[in-house]
Amino acid sequence: MSTTGDSAQHISGAAESGKECADWQALLERIPYARHLGLEVQRGDAGVLVHLPCREALIGNFMLPALHGGVLGALIELTARVAAQSQDAEIRCPRILDSHINYLRSAKARSTFARADIIRQGRRTSLVQVTCWQGDENKPIATGQVQLLLPTMAAQQEDRHGH
Amino acid sequence: MAKPNTVQHSNAVATAWQFTEQVPHGRELGMQVVSVDQGQVCMRLTPQSWMFAHEDTKEICTSVLYSLADSAGGLAVFAGALELMPIATLDLRMDYLRPASGDQALLAVATCRHLTDEVAFIHCDILNEGNRELLATANATFMRNTQGQQFHAGGRGKESA
Repeated sequence: MSTTGDSAQHISGAAESGKECADWQALLERIPYARHLGLEVQRGDAGVLVHLPCREALIGNFMLPALHGGVLGALIELTARVAAQSQDAEIRCPRILDSHINYLRSAKARSTFARADIIRQGRRTSLVQVTCWQGDENKPIATGQVQLLLPTMAAQQEDRHGH
Repeated sequence: MAKPNTVQHSNAVATAWQFTEQVPHGRELGMQVVSVDQGQVCMRLTPQSWMFAHEDTKEICTSVLYSLADSAGGLAVFAGALELMPIATLDLRMDYLRPASGDQALLAVATCRHLTDEVAFIHCDILNEGNRELLATANATFMRNTQGQQFHAGGRGKESA
């Protein structure tokens, strides 16, 4: 994963990258729907990637065939969620507020990859840009921006008291 | 331009309905088309535990709502256009208003807000079936008459120009 405007991220060592992969995988495995989709974390040239293996149940158009737009939506939202959570010092579980996804090319029935760029990590919110591709990373098939809310201590206590 | 008759209208919607229910990802999530009435599409999804966002809460993952909105939105293009043609999602924006509880079915209500020769603008609401609480809203833009495969479902598809 890279952080926009933070050059320190680009010189992180291989050991650090390995730990980041393990951290992301652990966060993904806590999400039942991510496990169902079979999302797996990989180490790419420029940082951590999330891989979505293809299977027939993910098809949205069986004539092309092409992946369902909602499957790419899930890859983008879940990658953004894990990126925002791993970046948070307290590893708070974020709530997805909104997502806006642009479909750039047809998503073929094959392996899809996603990488996250944190546009802004604030105290209460995180805005994450996710890029998806198949085969050629320079030919993205979809990009998405996801806005997440990082719960404050006060909000967590309110939840506990059932307000 | 000749106005298609009502028989063709109902055929186009029926074929799109049938096509929607055959989509593998929709079948996996258990999406059902409830109704298509005067351009308004209603779809339903019964949550299952593998759709959850957390181990400990029964909150449904937002991405499941996203898939439901995309499917209902696609069918709403045909419900609005009343003709069959290949379409593609250009973009989709979701706002998640409330967490979706896993113990209630989800309903998606989608309508075509505006149609041009090339583009369809769709709005979709995702509701709790029980109390009709609004859980999420979606706005999507679909491209009409995309290149590539022509629309066929059960051999009754129509070639688009």
